[in-house]
Amino acid sequence: MLALLVPHLPEFIKNFIDGLLEPTMYFVLSVVGFWAMIQFRSFWTRGWFIGGFFAFTIVFYFWSLTDENFKLIVGKPDNVPITILFFSLAFLLWVAFRKMVINDRLIDKGLPTFEHREASRRVYCWPDLVYTEFLALILCTVLLLVWAYYLKAPLEEPASLVKTPNPSKAPWYFLGLQEMLVYYDPWLAGVVFPTFIINGLMAIPYIDMNPKGNGYYTFKQRRFAISTFLFGFIVLWVTLIILGTFLRGPNWNFFGPYAYWDPHMVESLNNVNLAEYVYLEWLGRALPSNILLRELPGFLTVIAYFAVLPPLLANLVFRKMYKDLGFIRYQTMVFFLLCMAALPLKMVLRWTVNLKYIVAIPEYFFNI
Amino acid sequence: MSETNDKGRRSFLAAVSTGWALFTAASVAGLGMCVRFLFPNDTFEPATKFKVGYPGDFAASSEGIVDKRYKTRGIWIVRTLDGFFVLSTVCTHLGCTPNWLEAEKKFKCPCHGSGFYSSGINFEGPAPRPLERFKVSLAADGQLEIDKGKKYQQEKGQWDDPESFLKMEYSV
Amino acid sequence: MSLMKFITDSQIWKSIFRHKYPDNPRDQALAVLSNVFLHLHPIKVRKSGVRMSFTWCMGGLTFFLFLVETITGVLLMFYYRPVVEYAYNDIKALRDHVPIGIMRELHRWGAHLMVITVWLHMLRVFLTGSYKPPREFNWNVGVILLVLTLLLSFTGYLLPWDQLAIWAITVGTNMARATPLMGHEGPGAAFIQLGDVSLVTAGSDVRFGLLGSKTVGAATLLRFYVLHCIAVPLGAGLLIAVHFWRVRKDGGISGPM
Repeated sequence: MLALLVPHLPEFIKNFIDGLLEPTMYFVLSVVGFWAMIQFRSFWTRGWFIGGFFAFTIVFYFWSLTDENFKLIVGKPDNVPITILFFSLAFLLWVAFRKMVINDRLIDKGLPTFEHREASRRVYCWPDLVYTEFLALILCTVLLLVWAYYLKAPLEEPASLVKTPNPSKAPWYFLGLQEMLVYYDPWLAGVVFPTFIINGLMAIPYIDMNPKGNGYYTFKQRRFAISTFLFGFIVLWVTLIILGTFLRGPNWNFFGPYAYWDPHMVESLNNVNLAEYVYLEWLGRALPSNILLRELPGFLTVIAYFAVLPPLLANLVFRKMYKDLGFIRYQTMVFFLLCMAALPLKMVLRWTVNLKYIVAIPEYFFNI
Repeated sequence: MSETNDKGRRSFLAAVSTGWALFTAASVAGLGMCVRFLFPNDTFEPATKFKVGYPGDFAASSEGIVDKRYKTRGIWIVRTLDGFFVLSTVCTHLGCTPNWLEAEKKFKCPCHGSGFYSSGINFEGPAPRPLERFKVSLAADGQLEIDKGKKYQQEKGQWDDPESFLKMEYSV
Repeated sequence: MSLMKFITDSQIWKSIFRHKYPDNPRDQALAVLSNVFLHLHPIKVRKSGVRMSFTWCMGGLTFFLFLVETITGVLLMFYYRPVVEYAYNDIKALRDHVPIGIMRELHRWGAHLMVITVWLHMLRVFLTGSYKPPREFNWNVGVILLVLTLLLSFTGYLLPWDQLAIWAITVGTNMARATPLMGHEGPGAAFIQLGDVSLVTAGSDVRFGLLGSKTVGAATLLRFYVLHCIAVPLGAGLLIAVHFWRVRKDGGISGPM
């Protein structure tokens, strides 16, 4: 019915977007967008901006639904939560940044923040809080009922271990991890990094020694903490989920949002290990047969990354932070920070020099 | 008197620490039992050793013709002009089941796009190593017999093992 | 009017409601104090703590969705059998042969929504710096609850026993093969040997313990069912209690010190 009333999304727009997007450009755009979000926060947190943003995205979203390929992937029942996540995250970020900007201005003028002004005022839970909660759960129930009524839960063919669907995807909330598998081996992307994500989150209260910004919105007083966390949450988690769900098709090839998922698309992947670069190209000799000698350049790189970089950073970039945090806290912080940075770094190395593994010992499943 | 007191205290401490040590050991053992309970001794899965027919049933070519009939049992049988070898259908990246694309002469994994030649050697995508091979031999009745209990990994040099390959010249 | 008064003056009514209508401070306090469920709340909170723009209500909604999942989940259990031969057809029957054919939808979409609300709750808590002292411990409880939420959703994903389910779980659990030292395709596993016998194999590694077999099969279905319906919800319920209790002990909904 929609298709009858609305003209289709013009081909040139589709072709432009499909042609523009590929993994490299997608990631670069999301990083640039993130930087712009932080940098121009006092601009986009104005009231008209979010109105315009929502009007534009929603119109464009529904207009895009006139494209069959777009509709097929976005309209998949299990992918609907991602659309909900996208819009609610956009709105709530707007709310949060707006409060940050306003509070930062107040702080700059030496005035109490919005929350400080209300801190001493206390209200009875009945009715203020209880009714707010009541209203929230009614709205949530209504949303859930409408959603459940209009959208059937998916049920595909009975399970069969012989027929692997192409592509095979984990549930949507793990697709950031599955996307990581393109760059790192399962033992890192599937086991070690998730463990580090959990441990890193748990470590946050013990490595963030900044006493400011406790219980109120502020950006300026917590620049590093908020930027780092949001980079992890938005760029390395949510946008990778969107990439993994909407833009990864058969054989885990990348497809633009309006592109047809062609299972026979061939993407040549000729990736090279670090050891091959060092011995074959730079030293011009054969790979040593001794595994440890062969992977020596890789081991040195990894050791340098985790052992040499932290003191270097402490002296160059994080001088004040090192003083504030002390040795153990600083080491913990920088270790998790480096682990987090390891993903975009490997991505860039893959795109620029086709690096496959830094350390490659497939004999013992030890590839980095 | 203080000496006897001291003695009494020491033996009391010894008894208490022994008690706690025993309690801790018993707790750890109990927890270990619970964990061990989750690992069954037997898992009613199909036999690992089975027969797949006579050598004459398989066509051959120089780089090998892939027989997909036993994919449900987790194997591909590849017949070259020299003989037979058997590949595992488990992708070495994350364990999905690749598909044999006859036109492109390769195994292609649908999960992350790893590609393998009919020999099992990986050449594209994230798979870190070649597909594994299984033991193949001739049974007494002349049929090919596969033993999935014995696997051979190329990167460990095990494909040179005579049991990983059944030598048999192809004749029309 | 007199009937109303007759009811509210009766011994039965008074035995249940220990206060008058809460339109004055004393009864407002009693309304919260004398009700075991409302007693999760303190009597008074910071004004900023009741503002939706400050709290986003995401924690509350996560808990509400946990309750929705519990109720719809218990109802679904009346019709579902975690056996390979029946599971798929039982799910199919939920649509056509059971009244109110949206119970499974409520359960599934509620689960997805819960994943979203728990992430957004974490985001809000981070952005307001509410993990800072004295709330460090409760942040940690929250992180574990977030992991449990994902585990709940993940274990439930297998139960329909269709292609979507089995392959999502296969892809998801295959990573466990690569666990260092404990997975048979993990680094270091090859060195764990007794003489010539490898101790970490496809039939003894951590993935085998999770699945109950070497591939996702009948044992896995049962295992994930038990995890989904009993083990993980029990753990989550326990930690939710701790989480709420600590919110109260650490000064209620956060605000400037």
